[in-house]
Order: sequence, then C-alpha cells, then structure tokens
Amino acid sequence: MTRPDALPKAEGRVEFGADLSAPRMLWAAYATAPHPHARLRSLSVDEALATPGVRAVLTAADLSALLPKRKPDPQRPLLVAKESRFQGEPFALVAAEDLATARAAARRVRADWEVLPAFTDLTKELPSWPTPEVMKGDDRVNAHVLASRGDFEKACRDADVVHDETYRTNMVAQVPMEPHACLARVRGEDWHVRTTTQTPFGLREDLVDKLGLPTERVRVEGTWVGGGFGGKNEALLEAHALLLSKRTGRPVRLALTFREEFLFSRTTQPAVFQMTSCVRGGRLIGRRTRLLLDTGASLPGRDFALGYALGFTLGPYRLDAWELEGYALRTHRPPFGPHRAPLAPQCSFAAESHLDSLARRIGVDPIAFRRQHVWEAGEKTAFGQEVPPFAAAEALARGQALERSWRAELPPGGGIGIAVGFWSTGTGAGGEAIVRLCPTGLTIVQGEREIGTGSVCEATRAIASRVTGLPMEAVQVEYLDTSRAPFDSGVWGSRTTIALGRAVQKACEALLHDLGRRGLGLGRGHPRQSRRGAPEVRLELFRGRVMVRQGELARPLVALLTSQERKRGGVEALGKEYGRSHDIDRSVVKDGELYPYSDLIASVHLAQVAVDRDTGAVRVERYAAFQDAGHVVDPEGYRGQVEGAVLMGLGTALTEEGLLTPQGRLQNPGLLDYRIPTIRDVPSELQIVAIEGHPGSGPWGAKGVGEPPIIPVPAAVANALADATGARVLEIPLTPERVARALGIISARAPTQEVPGMPPVTPTGGK
Amino acid sequence: MSFTLHFPTRLEEAWDLLEQGPPGASLPIAGGTDLLLGLDFGRFAPERLVSLSRLPLQRLEFGRDGVRIGSMLPLRTLELDERVRKGVPALAQAINEVGSVQLRHRATLGGNVVRASATSDLLPPLVALETELTLVSRGGRRTVRLEGFVEGSWKTGLRVGEIVEELHVPSPRPGTYQWQRVRPANDISQVGVAVVRHPKNGGGPSVRWRIVAGGTAGSFQRLTRAEACLERDEPSEREVAEAAREAAGEAKFLTDLRAAEEYRRHLLRVLVRRGIERTVRSAATAGGG
Repeated sequence: MTRPDALPKAEGRVEFGADLSAPRMLWAAYATAPHPHARLRSLSVDEALATPGVRAVLTAADLSALLPKRKPDPQRPLLVAKESRFQGEPFALVAAEDLATARAAARRVRADWEVLPAFTDLTKELPSWPTPEVMKGDDRVNAHVLASRGDFEKACRDADVVHDETYRTNMVAQVPMEPHACLARVRGEDWHVRTTTQTPFGLREDLVDKLGLPTERVRVEGTWVGGGFGGKNEALLEAHALLLSKRTGRPVRLALTFREEFLFSRTTQPAVFQMTSCVRGGRLIGRRTRLLLDTGASLPGRDFALGYALGFTLGPYRLDAWELEGYALRTHRPPFGPHRAPLAPQCSFAAESHLDSLARRIGVDPIAFRRQHVWEAGEKTAFGQEVPPFAAAEALARGQALERSWRAELPPGGGIGIAVGFWSTGTGAGGEAIVRLCPTGLTIVQGEREIGTGSVCEATRAIASRVTGLPMEAVQVEYLDTSRAPFDSGVWGSRTTIALGRAVQKACEALLHDLGRRGLGLGRGHPRQSRRGAPEVRLELFRGRVMVRQGELARPLVALLTSQERKRGGVEALGKEYGRSHDIDRSVVKDGELYPYSDLIASVHLAQVAVDRDTGAVRVERYAAFQDAGHVVDPEGYRGQVEGAVLMGLGTALTEEGLLTPQGRLQNPGLLDYRIPTIRDVPSELQIVAIEGHPGSGPWGAKGVGEPPIIPVPAAVANALADATGARVLEIPLTPERVARALGIISARAPTQEVPGMPPVTPTGGK
Repeated sequence: MSFTLHFPTRLEEAWDLLEQGPPGASLPIAGGTDLLLGLDFGRFAPERLVSLSRLPLQRLEFGRDGVRIGSMLPLRTLELDERVRKGVPALAQAINEVGSVQLRHRATLGGNVVRASATSDLLPPLVALETELTLVSRGGRRTVRLEGFVEGSWKTGLRVGEIVEELHVPSPRPGTYQWQRVRPANDISQVGVAVVRHPKNGGGPSVRWRIVAGGTAGSFQRLTRAEACLERDEPSEREVAEAAREAAGEAKFLTDLRAAEEYRRHLLRVLVRRGIERTVRSAATAGGG
C-alpha cells in the first residue's frame, strides 16, 4: 500500500507553505533584534523605505492605524516597541517586489539599541534551590508548582539509602525540514491566510486574539506541512503577513529563514532536575523532583509543560511518598513551546537515569527493579487516578527477555541500557468529521492537514475502509479551510488518530446504519451507533460500485441514493468526538496546577552502545522500542512514527544542543553546527514492537503514537553508556567531549562553561 | 541576485568567458557545493558563472608512479573506484566522509583544493600523499606541490587565468584518515589526521612517514616532529607513542563551538597513534606497499 501523498511528494508536486505564490505577490522579510535583551532607543525606516522595489515597512508604530479596534497587549507585542525580549525578536517587516530586495531593505531598518543585562543561564543567578521567599515577587517566575502525597521527609529518614543526583538538559530545537511560511491576502473584510500549520482552527483562534478581529473574518487554509513537531501550532508569522497585505493591498508571502527558525520559532530550553529517591529493604518508598525549567521568552500561559511534565518524573512506579516542586522561569532565550512530548524526553532522562543509577547503587538489576514497582491497570496513579489499560509491565518483561539475548552477544566494552517513557494522550479539544458517500466512493471531509505522519491522509482512510468495508482506494480525504470544514483541534498531542479517527469512525457508522436500514427496506432511520460499535452491514466495492451486503441481499448502494441525493453529490453523515474529562485527586496540589491523564502509554526502549574509551564517542549499535500501541490502525504509519521519534530522540541524546555565548546569543542557529541526526546515524538494528491489547480511547482501542516513542530515548542511551563504562553522565547531549570529561579522559570541566553546580540536597529536604 | 550560467566545453572558451568584466564579475564554478552557499549569503555577486563541468578535466588514470585525477571528477566516482580505495586508502577514506552522497556527486577534488577550507577533510590526505597539481592557463602548464600551494581559506597560489587541470597522487601508498566528529555523518571534523607511509627514495635510509592534521586550528598542519619519530616500516610501540606525543605538542589548537583546545589536543594524540598503527596493519594485510 502506497500512501496517496508519497508519489506527489517524491515528484515535488505538492504545495508546501514555502511554495505558495500568487499573482502580484509581494515578498516579506523581518528585521530582528540582535541582542537578547535591549531597549529600542530609536528606529528609522527611511533608508529601507527608499530602497527601490520596497512597497511597505511596518513597525510597532504602524499597528494601531491598521488595527483600530485591537487592544494591544503590552505583554505580547506583535513587533518590538520598547524592549527586545530575546535575540531574533522581530521589530520591523519589509514587503518588496522580490525576496532579495526585501531582505536587503530589512537590513537597512536602522535601530539604536541600548543593551541590557540578559538572563540566559538558570544556574548562574540561581546557584541553589530557590526558596519560595527568594522567588516571591520575582517577575521572572512564569509558574510554580508544588505538590505532594505522603510524608517524603519521613521516607528519607526511614530509608536505608537516599540517592541524590542533579541532571541537566540543554536547548533543543524542532528543526522541521520545511520552515514556517505563509501567503496572506486581505480583501475587504476577508483576512485570508494560507499557511503551513498543524492546527488551522487553533491558528485562527490565535490570529483572532492577536489581531482583535471577529472570528468569522479570519480564514485559515492549511497547506501540506513539511514536518510539524508542535512548533506549527500558533500564529508565528501569519499576523505579520496579513498586516503587510492590509497595508499594501497585495498578497504577501512571508517565510522564516533557518536562522529565524532557530531564533524565534519554538524550542525546548534548558532544565535542571534535582532528583532524590529513598529505598528501604530494596523497595522504593519515596521520591522528590525539583525542577528549574527555562521557558525562554515565553509568557505565562505557556507554562503547561511544568505542571504537565513534572508528574512524569515520578515515573509509572508505586511510591509511598512523593514531592514535586518546579519553577518555570522567563529568560531571554528563544521562547519555549510545545515540542513533541514537551519536556518529557528530558524528564525521562533525569528520572530513568536516576532510577538506573539507584538500582546499580543498591546492587539490583535495573530492569527487575522497574518491574518490581511498575503500575498495573486498576491501581492508582500518583495523582489518584485509576490506571487505565497500560502495557508498561508487559513491555518491561519483553524488554528484559531481549536484554538477556543481547547481553549474551555483547561485545567487550559495550553496554545495554533500558528506559521507560510514560505519557498520556487523548482527544485534545475534540474534533468532528463528515463522511460523504457518492456512487464512486467515500470522501472524508475534515479540517486538519497532513503533517507527514499519515494520520490524516492515510489513517483516517484506513478507519473508514475498515468500518465500511470499502477498499482504501475508494476512500479519499478532502481538506477544507476553517470557514467550511467541521471543527477539529488539529494535529498535536498524538491525538489525530484518537480524536479525528473516532469522529470518522462514528460518521461512517452513522452512515452505514442509516443506509443499511434503507437497503434492508427498513426506511430512513436516525443515525445510531450499534450497541457494540460494530457496523450492522458491510459495504463493498463490486465492479466499481459500492454495494451493501447483508445476508443474501446485495444491492449497489447507488440504488439506495435518492435522485435528490445524487444531484447533491451523495449523502453525508457527521461524527463528533469530544472525549471525556478526567480529574486527579486535587488534595495533592499545594500550589500551581497539575493535569490529569487520559490514556496512559508506556514506551520501553533498549539501547546497546559501543563506547570509544579513548575519545568518548558513543555509537548506538542496536535499538529496540516496545510500544504500548493499544491497537495499530495503520501499521506502516505506526512504524514510521516510532522510527522517526527514535531518531529524533537520538539527536536529543547525542548531538543536538543550542549553544549560547556568555552574552546570550545563539552561536549555532543553523544546520551546520546544530546537528540533527542524518540517515547514516540510524542504528544498524532497530526493532519496533507494537504491543496491542491494552486499549486506549481511539478507534478499536488505538492509542496515540506521535509523541510517546521519543520519550525514553536519551535515558536508554545514557543508561547503556553507564552500563558500558560505569560512569554516569549527568547532562545531555552525550557529545564525545562531554563523555570524555565524564570518563576522566580529559579534565572534568569545559573551559568555556562556568557552571556552578547546585549543591546536592540533604535527605531531609534542605533544612 | 541574477547571473548567467555558462557551460564551455573547451578551455579556450572558458578563458574567454572568465576574462569578461572586472574582477569578480566572472567566477568559475566546479561542484558549487560551497560557492552556492556563498551566493546565497551574498558573499559573491558574479554576473556570470562559468561551469567547469563540461571541460575535459575528468580523467582518472593509473600509472606506475601514481594516479592522475582530473580536477572535475566527482568525488563519488573516486569513492566507488576500487583502485582508488586500494591504492590511496587515506584519500579514499577521507572522501567517504565528505558531506553526503548527494553532495559527493557534485563535489570535486579541484574545487576542494581551491576552496582551501580550514576544515577540509581532503587536504590532510592529499598533502600527506605529496600530491602535485597541474595548473593550466593560456600561457601553458605548470606543476606545483600542493603543500606549498594552499595558504589559507580561499587563499592559494592559483594565478589569474589558471585552472586546476589534474592532481597527481603517488600510488600505491599505505595510509589512513582518522577523524572525530560530534555527529559521525555529514559534520565538520573536530580533528582529522592523515597518515601516509612513503617508500624509500632510491637508496634513502628509511621510509618517509607523512602526518598531516586538519580541523585543529586554521588550515591543515604537517606534523614534522611527529614524522621524525618514525623511521621504519613498522615502528615500535614506543616510537608510535612518541610520535603521538610530539604531534600533540607541536600542533596548534583552538577552542570553538565544535571542541575545546584540550579535547582537540587529546584527540590528535589518539588519532595519530591509531593512524600509524592502522597504516602498518593495513599495509601488512595488503601485502606490503
């Protein structure tokens, strides 16, 4: 089976955001702040405006004339008015007849900056764990979370072993192959933008908010998306392009350069995890995580990651007592944002490295130690929810069997590591789909866009095909803009197959139910789901026509369509999926917010590494991913998601790192020195095992797969490294130089980094 | 940015085109793997680009004294040639690590030499192999040693109107290219070291070892003190260690975002040792050379 987008993409025939064009189109470019934190003393656009070919230059001063009804939010300026909050923040825009002119003119927008001190290193100004007294009134605190259950301090006192470690993670960018790009056109009251987005409806909401326009005036039309990992959710550049179009009366194309992608699309910023675990009689009795999270130049409201991610540092393990505390801090680094299981790979690196080193310290097999504590369905999570069907225990058992066979063949000097990733996915903000049956086949009418995973262009068809019995070739997907499509909350949070998939499933079932009754001479009934969700009739394609088949009866479906319905192009049915809400035991939350889980998904990964003891280079030679799948809807798409996530996780584990100068400027905003994995970095052995039978809330029990498989990768590699060398590297990425320092091959501290470490906490909570 | 692109098929035609306009108006383009980036970033603004790809500069000939490689032969062709792999393993190994397969279909040795990048993976093996270049101009041909020809990034002894015609690489020569990168594939080497063992020069007292480092600081560096530690076909363990120590002592290193000076120094020592050992080992299995 070949995906419908495969050949057109290979042949370069699909239109991505950067390919968009229109007659009389203008090209736009940004002028961006050179300093992470600086006051804009003065601004002159004269020289830029005088450049031949330039049609408009926009600065913050022009906005009120273009948007008279908008109430500007000083916290979220569309363009820098007074102070830059991060390097690369836009302060002006140019539209010109061609791109080179636009870029040249953007460089001629003269800005006079007064450089202000930049806060770009969490550990520099906060050398030890900050107490609430210290942080009170600090306006850099975006969010604070404090939660606990049981008596952690007592657990520490009762423990045989109290294990303390501090882990650090660094800046990781998303690096979609296709940069952000859009084509905007304002005609009268129609603010229309075509753009590469994961969430057309979410982007519309964001635009409405940014521009102060009524929802129905803003029309978002998605394009094919060349990779979206969370960064193509919000309106990053669309508002700017629309404003330039409003000003010039012409279509405007705006795209980010790769440098701009690194500087002002959304990234994961550094985090520091202080992990403490208590063991008594070989049993884990308590754990505490203290997390300092750099949220870059993000404002409050982008702090969900703190409350959401923090819980994952406890792991899916039984604990008598636990305590979680975290600060999300605003810095002058690039803004933090949603990024394929936001912060979860970092949390897992800290939590699963820590658990591994604890098991080794007390002389217990790390896998057996995990199996001893892992949740089973039916018990309670740390936050008091009932554990839904969950494959963690089964995945660990299978991982252990594989580990034994790998260890029997392990070359000298190699190492094997295991790690558990734990995540929750669900339906997001819900979604709807319409299916339309016409004599030639079925069309899924919906408002999401295909971002490359296959969840829209392939999985929805697989679902419709399975419900209706129609062959895949007879099912197609129609992509509509936000003014015409049924609502859907977009491709994010591993939710597409769950929510849109369920909506499609329900729509097909409703259609079948209705038509099936008619085919059996039962008259037109109301669409109703059969009791067990299974269709009562099957449709088949027979000699090019859709047939309804039930027992001995077989009639072409066309015969069931009334002449009116044929004239209208077929019959339609609507499916909606808004999931169900969940909640946690609120008594555990002392400050801030924790979030409930929907489906729970386990990812148990095994990595085998070879370590060069002379240079510190780590090579991943074998890799296996045991994934809690619930149910696999589209096997090829499923495998693609796991492979892609593992490879992306290997980048986080081994090579990817945004490096800042002491002044806070990003040194490597490009693909040369920001190193994402290449095809040659794929481990020669990569096993993917989908474990079914622990159902989630998607079609036939499917669970989300976009995010979960990236989560345990850094920890699995770090644990393999520790297994091979006995040395634990407390910071990712595990670059050869960092590993060389940890192994004592060269001195322990890099000369350019002056990082005073946070002192280890005392078992009794830092008294 | 706008320019015209020309594909001359004869050298005379190429010179006619290259001589048009003031300096910088006409630029030759080989594989273009670096030049195109320069155009994109506005580093060059030529009126015309003169492609050398259809000129007769693509020969690959093995003779008794070595191999003659046309300056415009794509790296990928060399990489897939068994005779190159066996005859000049140091060069073949380095070529295999340049960029990606796609890039190597475009990139050429001539382009790499004239670009003279400080981080070139090809210059160390070419210098260690004692490569000579044939340069051709309207005035005729001349032959130069590569070692003195490259002066620094974009700086070489190439004169106005000269085109690199071919490289003459002595072969067979046992040797190896050792490198280390943050990301193994498609990255710039933190340190690269070429080690090549040359045979006795008629009646000379010993073999000649050539050890050339790249990526450590500025352009490539020949490590003569390290070379001087080695006099035999198969140096002793002590001599190898001595050479590695000398190499780390004599080379210059810098700290940048790819590696700290201390780590580069350590890497060089490791890679020089491995380079010598592997050269000896591969020469032994190849039946001498």
